This record gives sequence, structure tokens and C-alpha cells, in this order.
Amino acid sequence: MSKISFQIFLGALFILATGAIILIYGLNEEHRMAVQSAAMHGRAIEQGAALFEQQCSRCHGIQGTGIPGLCPPLNDRAFFDKRLQEVNWSGSMEDYIVATVSSGRLSSTRPQTFPGQGTPAMPSFSDRFGGPLREDQIRNLAAFIMNWEETAETVTVPEPPSEPAAGTKIIGTDITQTLPAGDAAAGEKLTSTLGCVACHIASNVGPAWRATGSEPGIGSLAAQLIHDPNYTGHATTPEQYLVESIVDPNVFVVPGFSSGIMPGNYATSLTDQDVADLVAYLLTLK
Amino acid sequence: MLKSLNLQDLRQKTFAAIDHRVRIITAGLGIDELRAVMRGDPPTEKPNPRYKVHTTSFLFHIRPRYYELGSTIFTHTWRLGFFTAFFFFVELFTGLILMVYYTPSPEKAYDSIIDLLTNVPYGQLLRDIHRFGAEAMVIFTVLHMLRTYLTGSYKKDRSFTWLTGVVLLGITMLLSFSGYLLPWDQLAYWAVTVGTSMVEAAPLIGNQLNLLLRGSQDIAADGLLRFYLLHVVLLPFAAILVISIHYYKVSREHSISLPANIEEDDISPEKKRAAKSRIDLIPDLLTHEVFLVSLGLLLVVLAVTVFNYRAPLESVANPQVTPLDTKAPWYFWWLQGMLKLGDKILMGLVIPGVLALLLIGLPYIDRNPYRSMYKRPVAVAIGVLAVLTLVVLSYMGLPQFGIESDAATRIIQDMAPEEGVGPLRQVPFDQLVAGSYEVDVTPSVDMCPTLSYGCPQFEEVFQFYGNYVDDMVARGRLAADNQAFIIIEDWQQNLKKITMRILWLNEEGTTSTYERHIFLHAERGSE
Ligand code: HEC
Ligand code: HEC
Ligand code: HEM
Repeated sequence: MSKISFQIFLGALFILATGAIILIYGLNEEHRMAVQSAAMHGRAIEQGAALFEQQCSRCHGIQGTGIPGLCPPLNDRAFFDKRLQEVNWSGSMEDYIVATVSSGRLSSTRPQTFPGQGTPAMPSFSDRFGGPLREDQIRNLAAFIMNWEETAETVTVPEPPSEPAAGTKIIGTDITQTLPAGDAAAGEKLTSTLGCVACHIASNVGPAWRATGSEPGIGSLAAQLIHDPNYTGHATTPEQYLVESIVDPNVFVVPGFSSGIMPGNYATSLTDQDVADLVAYLLTLK
Repeated sequence: MLKSLNLQDLRQKTFAAIDHRVRIITAGLGIDELRAVMRGDPPTEKPNPRYKVHTTSFLFHIRPRYYELGSTIFTHTWRLGFFTAFFFFVELFTGLILMVYYTPSPEKAYDSIIDLLTNVPYGQLLRDIHRFGAEAMVIFTVLHMLRTYLTGSYKKDRSFTWLTGVVLLGITMLLSFSGYLLPWDQLAYWAVTVGTSMVEAAPLIGNQLNLLLRGSQDIAADGLLRFYLLHVVLLPFAAILVISIHYYKVSREHSISLPANIEEDDISPEKKRAAKSRIDLIPDLLTHEVFLVSLGLLLVVLAVTVFNYRAPLESVANPQVTPLDTKAPWYFWWLQGMLKLGDKILMGLVIPGVLALLLIGLPYIDRNPYRSMYKRPVAVAIGVLAVLTLVVLSYMGLPQFGIESDAATRIIQDMAPEEGVGPLRQVPFDQLVAGSYEVDVTPSVDMCPTLSYGCPQFEEVFQFYGNYVDDMVARGRLAADNQAFIIIEDWQQNLKKITMRILWLNEEGTTSTYERHIFLHAERGSE
């Protein structure tokens, strides 16, 4: 065989082989694209999860179950099944989430149950409206929230006490009043129904209550903080410090945290008995 | 009788008509001649019609009529220049198709890549080939330069060819670099941010140049558009122009150099004559080229299928989050290495500038008249030394080299890197059983009693983690008084949250913590 024919022969063979490989590769394209799409969706959910933790959990709760008296649950059957009709939204759930998160809410549609921060109830998150998130990040957040749809259970939101029970009264902001005797066990229960746990135990949105490697628990800290030179509140005892932190959280903001995150409506929604129970419980966390 | 005559007549006439058309298309080759070409027979007409093509056809007029046998010896050129050009055409072809799907804006760019990967049949293949071709082109350009350096082909007449070559080296690097930004992922964004910051360091005009290139202080919409236009318009046109000049010099003016021993050694006149015998473009060189192209195509396709070459894609660019390890493309590691040795102006601008000048001036600096390697020991030594220096500098340019990040950060970054996979993410999803696992406390066997098949891969990774921590302690980088955790929580359906946390006693006697949360979805599977 001459050199030329040999090269033509081998070259033709190579071309055939190349063609065959491309053909076989092509047969798998449908599958490959499906797998790839699923992977991208997975990635979107992962990133949404991280963003939710950074941006949203302080209001909507670590697991999206909401914070009573502050923000609505999103990991909630009713949210997925009924909410769109309730607000007469004609688009899809995903659009509703994207729209809400992008522009936020100036005022709450349910000011009684979920007042949020007041005005705006929920800040706008889109960077087009001065928020911190890009559009793709907001879509990732929506993917994450939508991933709750199949498993979401009904969240029952405890009604804020409209009429305080007999013998108790709405606490108000006076921290020097004498409180009824507190029950630590009842207080512990309240911390989860009221959603304090979401910020103070399950995450570090608020100061940790339990003792960590380097810091004592809130029960001991309260006694230390009132003697701190930077303390700006008016409490003179650990009990008063705790009451003040609950009913008037912004007179003294714990260093390392910003004001306005801890809900500010406890003075008007909790009774003196509730607060006494909470304080009794907190004091046990040395 | 009359009929058959007519038929013959008709046949001849048709043949002549077809032959005429064919000659127009092939710029002078008739049917018989084409047949002879394919068979490798000698020319059928005189004067040789195969040469006529070179004056009548544009595409053939830039090709050589023949090369001398000696210069076509494989081990003389290694076909490196040819393959550089081959990859350039691969890039042109795949790049043109990629352009159909790509939108050069920060909002759309990354999505258009995702769309390409998830919605376009053969989209991933195209992207992989384009990326592979780009890297191959850089490699082949450098090797080709090295070859012409070692065979002394830049001397005398060919100094201008060398000069255009140096320009091509620059264009090739810039093409690669400008393309690097386009996917708009973290890898792209930060590599290019670091790369262009060199420009900013230039005295006096640095700031203006930076603005011109990036479009604003940081790379954003304007910068992306500029890089895109550089990548798909300016640089390709420049490349086509300069490659044409480069190639014209080789093919029509100086031909490929003969191996030095044929020109300079005492060899018999017969041998010399044999070495100078002509190899015609048609059909010999041309068939060889077609053969090389089919070989090249096969290799490229094998690389991106069987050998699994993948163009990387990290998460979308985020100007607010500087990744722990920013990495330039590997062909710039040497520069990154140099930057670790000195300041930006000296190492990033002055020395590379001097190097470029040296390359350009090489034919004039090197006054040694010989081309044989044996007669140019100094030049060869400098070449070898330069290559070694590049390798060492590249090694120093690796992100891990010379930058001692804090031990806990390093461990966690290597276990579960911000971008890419890492050992932890490779553990199958169902082996990540919720729980808190502490190094040296949780035994690393039988960690998942609830799974009938156990979790061997997770155990392996957990052991790796423990060993890594111990290793850091042994090397004195991490306090012996430490706790290292992996905490796994079920977060959502198909989603787990994993916290990696290391606490250690620092110099002040208090506890420091480093932790990273990652979320893992069951479907993320293949990267
Ligand atoms: C300052 C507290 C706050 C933050 C932070 C916050 N939200 Fe909200 N969000 C609210 C309040 C209050 C409402 C209820 C408004 C209403 O009922 O009209 C709400 C409503 C919503 C709704 C509509 C719920 C419904 O039932 O109609 C969605 C979806 C939502 N938020 C998502 C998010 C996401 C995602 C984030 C994080 C990027 C986030 N929110 C951050 C306070 C907050
Ligand atoms: C949305 C998150 C959030 C919720 C819900 C929340 N807190 Fe807080 N809390 C904070 C933040 C943030 C701070 C620190 C800033 C400050 O002092 O205002 C804080 C501070 C405190 C402090 C002072 C802590 C210290 O270390 O000095 C106490 C006590 C407290 N909260 C009690 C409660 C109680 C009781 C509840 C439930 C009724 C509750 N918090 C619900 C976020 C929250
Ligand atoms: C885009 C990049 C380039 C392309 C496409 C290209 C293409 C070619 C081709 C096809 C040849 C014919 C010989 C061969 O195949 O080896 C050649 C020769 C040559 N090239 Fe390049 N080249 C490129 C870059 C360079 C560079 C970076 C240099 C050096 C700085 C260089 C210097 C030379 C020289 C000196 C010759 C003549 C070699 C001889 O006569 O033996 N080229 N080039």
C-alpha cells in the first residue's frame, strides 16, 4: 500500500471512529441532560438553603415554621395549599415567592398575627430595590422553599392572648414591677411555642442561651452584664435584666448583635405570668 | 448507427461539460487528474496542473507548492505548528456554535451556560471541546515555539516568522484568558480579577488602563461585554491576520527549515539531494494533513468522552465572596508564582515585559550562526533552564504554596471546599446519617448501625478527617487541645445540612472556633 492510500485508509477509519463515538454519545444525551438538570436543581436548593439561613431564618424560623407574633410559617401545609387563593394570586407559587422576596412587604397583610418588623414588615431583598440578593439567588431561595411542599405539615400559630387570663395582665414595659411567681417548666414550653428557640438555641441569630465552651449560660450572664461598663439599660438585678431584654429589647443591645432583630412586640402580647415563667426558666440556664 | 454515434458524441460532450465544471470548482484539476491524485499517480497533463491550482485558487495560493523532504521529517517539526493551527480552527468552529447560546451579561451569562449544559443536545460536548481546544492550543503553541527554538529555525531569514510567532503566543494567551471570564462563575470572576489587577499596578496609567479593560473599578456588566468582544471579535480577527502572515512566511517565502544536520553537517551529496527532493502539496502533503486532521479530531473527541475531560463550572460569580483559593488558569501559574516573590510592578509587569522583549529580540541577540543544537550549547542550556524555571514557578503559583492559612480553615477547606467536590461531598447521600461525630471520640467503625449496608465511605472520610487533624497537630499547626466535629442534620427532603467545626485552644488561652455549613442535596451527584 502506498503511503497515500495508507493515510487515506487510516484517516477514514479515524473519521468513522469519531463519528461512532459522537453517535453513541448522542444516544445518551437525553439522559445526560435530565441528570444534569436534576443536579442543577439540587445545587439551587443547596444554595437557597444557605441563603435562607443567612437572610430569612431570623424572621421565618430556622426550619421555616415561622415565629409566632412576628412572621408567618413557610414550611406549612396551608401556605402551599391555601395561601394563593387567600391573596388572589394568579401566578404560580414560585412566582409568588420570588415576587414577595424581591420586593418585600411594606405592610403586612396580617398585621394582627404577623406584623414583622412593622414598616416594612419584610424588607425587599432584590438588589434592584436596594436589597442584598441577586435574581438568581432569589430563585434559588424559591427552589429551597418549594422543596418543602411535599412534606409540609400544618403549623398551628398560637393566637396572641387577646384577653389576659384571670389574675394576670399584659406586662407592659415597666421592669420594676413585681412579677408573680414563675414556673421554669412552663417557661421552657413557652420558649418553643413563642419561637424564642429559633433564634437563641437552634441558631445564633440571637445570643446563645446555653453555656458554650467559652461563655456561661444566660442565667449567669444576666448577673454579669448589668455591671458591664457598656450596659445602657436600667436593670439592677438579673431578673430585671431579663424582663427588660424581653419587653424592651432595644435599650441595651447585646454586643455583636444588631437592634431590631429580637421581636419588639412582647411587651404588648405577653402577660406578666408568661414573662415570669420565661425569666424563671432563663435563670436556670447557668 | 446514427443513434450510437450520437450517443458517443453526447457522452463525450457531457464528460467535457462535467470536466469543465469540475475544473472550475477545483481551480484547474480535471476529472482524470483528480482520479490520479486520489490514487497517488503522477500528473496526467503537462504542465503539472497540480501547480496551476496555486495561482488560480485563493486557498491554494497561500499553501506551499511543495516542501523539501528533509523538512517534512516528523521528528523535525513534530507537526506542532500544524496542530496549533488545527486547534485554532476547532476553537473557531465550536466557538461559533457556542455564541448562539451565550449572552454576555452578568444576569444571563451563567444561566446561558447552565442552559447549554441542561437543554442543548451536544451542548456539554461542545463546551468541553472548546475548553479542551483552548488549553491544547496554548500547550501546542508553547511546544511549537520550543521546537523552533531548539532547531534554531528563528535564525537569519526566518526572524520575522519568529516575531509574528511571538505575537501569536501573546494573542493565544489573551484569547484563552479573555474566554476564561465568560462563564461568569467564581473561578472565572476571581481568576480574571486577580489577572487584571496586574494592569492596575502599572505606574501612572494603571488606573486608566484598568478602567478601559474592566469598564469600571471592578469587573461587572461593562467588563464582561468588553472581554466578550475581545474574545469573539478583536482577538480572533487579530489571530487570523497574524496566523496568515506567519503561515505565508513559512509556506510561500522561506519554506520550513531543513533539519540542521542536513544544512550544516558533512553529508554525502546524494543524501543532501534526497533531503532536498520535493514533496508536492497535491497529493502528498494534503493527504497527510487530512490524515492529521482526522487523527486530531479523534483524539479531541476521545479526550472529552472516554477520558472524561470536563470544562469546570463553579457557582455563579459573586463579587462579595472572595474564594479561599483563587486560582489562575494553569498557564498563568508561573506568573502567580512570581507574584509571590515580589511586588506587582516588578514581578507582574517589569519582568514579564522584559521576557517578552527578550523573546522578540531573540533572533538579534543570538548571533551564533549555527542551528544545530550541538553547536549552540549556551542557547540550549538557557532553553532548558527557562523551561525548568517555568515549572518551578508554576508549582509555587499553586494556591496551597507559601500561603499558610490557619490549620482549621485548611482542613475544612480540603474536606469540603467552597467550590468543587472534595471528599465529604463524594460520600453517597444515604450514608450521611444524622448525628454528631467527634474526632477521637466517636469510633470510626460501625458508624451507621441503622444502615444494613453500613457507611464505609463516610467512615473513610471521617478517618481521613481525624488523620488530617492529628497530622496538623503533629506538625505544630494546630493546638493539641482541640475538638473536631462533623454534625449532620436532616434538613429537608433530599437535603442535609453538614456542619464542620473545629475548636481549639489559642495562644491567649481562650477557645477559637472555625466552622463551615454546607448543604447537600441528594441529586447534586454528578458535578
Ligand atoms: C424582618 C422579618 C422578615 C425577614 C428577614 C423575611 N421576611 Fe418574609 N415575611 C415577613 C413577614 C412579616 C411576612 C408576612 C407579611 C404578610 O403577611 O403580609 C412575610 C412573608 C413572606 C412570604 C409570603 C408568605 C405568605 O404566607 O404570604 C414569603 C414567601 C417570604 N416572606 C419569604 C421570605 C424569604 C425567602 C426571606 C429571606 C430572603 C424572608 N421572607 C425574610 C417578614 C420577614
Ligand atoms: C428573631 C429572633 C429572636 C427571637 C424570636 C427572640 N429573640 Fe431574644 N434576642 C434576639 C437578638 C438578636 C438579641 C440580641 C439583641 C438585643 O439585645 O436586642 C436578643 C436578646 C435577648 C435577650 C438578652 C440576651 C443576652 O444575652 O443578654 C433575652 C433575655 C432574650 N432575647 C429573650 C428572648 C425571649 C424570651 C424570646 C421569646 C419570647 C426571644 N428572645 C425571642 C433575637 C430573638
Ligand atoms: C497561533 C499560534 C501559531 C500557529 C498557528 C503557528 C503555525 C505554524 C506553522 C503551521 C508552521 C509550519 C511548521 C510547523 O508545522 O511546525 C510554523 C512555523 C514556524 N513558527 Fe509558528 N505558529 C504559531 C505560533 C508560533 C510561535 C509562538 C512561534 C515562536 C515564537 C512561532 C515560530 C515559528 C517559526 C520560527 C516557524 C518556522 C519553523 C521552521 O521553518 O522550521 N510560531 N508556525
